[in-house]
Amino acid sequence: MIELLERIIDDLYSIEGIDACILYRIDGTPILLRTPGFSEDILVVLAWLKKQICGVLKEMNKEGLSRAIFHFKDHKVLIAPSSKSTVLAAILSPGAHQMLTSIEIERITSEINRCVS
Amino acid sequence: MIDGGFRKNTVNVLCGGPGAGKSTFAIQYILHNLNRNHTGLLISFEMSEKQIIQDCLSLGFFEIEEHIENGSLTILHFFGEDLVFPPLDFIQDIREVIKGGEDVLISIDPFTYLTLFMDETERKFLSMIFQELREIGTTVVTLEENKNGSPVTLLPLYLADSVICLEDIGMGELYNRTLKIVKTRGARHGEGLYPYSIENGVGIVVEATMGQKSRIMAKRDFDDVFDEEIGKIARSEDPLAPKVSRKLEVLKDNWVRDSDPRDLIDLVIRTELGSR
Repeated sequence: MIELLERIIDDLYSIEGIDACILYRIDGTPILLRTPGFSEDILVVLAWLKKQICGVLKEMNKEGLSRAIFHFKDHKVLIAPSSKSTVLAAILSPGAHQMLTSIEIERITSEINRCVS
Repeated sequence: MIDGGFRKNTVNVLCGGPGAGKSTFAIQYILHNLNRNHTGLLISFEMSEKQIIQDCLSLGFFEIEEHIENGSLTILHFFGEDLVFPPLDFIQDIREVIKGGEDVLISIDPFTYLTLFMDETERKFLSMIFQELREIGTTVVTLEENKNGSPVTLLPLYLADSVICLEDIGMGELYNRTLKIVKTRGARHGEGLYPYSIENGVGIVVEATMGQKSRIMAKRDFDDVFDEEIGKIARSEDPLAPKVSRKLEVLKDNWVRDSDPRDLIDLVIRTELGSR
């Protein structure tokens, strides 16, 4: 089952404009991670995610949000719950195709849901 | 996920909340090795021998009765409330049971009782107990955590040779029960979060992909790169050269990455020898 989950995440990571993606458990523990080699910009976003993911999820849950997008200087972070116990975070480059990545993330989250449920 | 498994003469801590599977893990570890001609000792501060056997039978660990009958497994039941600090008598009891046997596998479940009333002085005795246990054999101790993941007790985890945390977040789904290896002294270990299930007849079943497993396996693809650099250093007249060669040999034997090691080798040589 994890093999399949890894393939799903690899699939998302292969999309142009997605610089990194992380599947978190609902308590903020990273489950799977796909990142490029050393990149200071991405590291800054990853460090932010590590600190904020639990708080963001709590707030999303409280407000009933299905997506949350955060804009950084060079990147966007899209956070989308993917099942009862998992949440997907994708770090998008400035040139990412908004519509394409949005549709792909929608598809990937439902695939993750099928896989882990 | 731990390269080579638990090392001999170590004390290994399993942490986890109630129902996470700590006792199952510990019994499974002992029985797996008893089936391979080791001798074992189960020390319980919670359940009597009869209860342990009943639990094992309901989990499908039928071999437990055979091991007790042939003397390869002994079960000791202590009442935690009866312990008087320092609890060194209990080490004496262990030594009497194993009768000088070597490389004995011990499970202490739960170890929590031994740590409940500890202040700094009492903690020193805990270090002594761990040292005694290392001399006797390889030990797995279980330690209870609160639901929020913080330990119920104050056992300093630096005393342990390895620490494995079992977690059950109670949400169902694939990552409901997970295992994380926090540390292992002197051995490589997987750094991921591994889902597991508890299956009757087998016990704890941990799921990991080939990719995750390969991350702790030494890769031989770059041996020639290491050998070439080690050869160059051997020809150097720098007095530090033998030490640097040894470092690179160790690095070669433990290279788990798929990437080329040249940059790191270069850094080591520049740092240690000051030039290329």
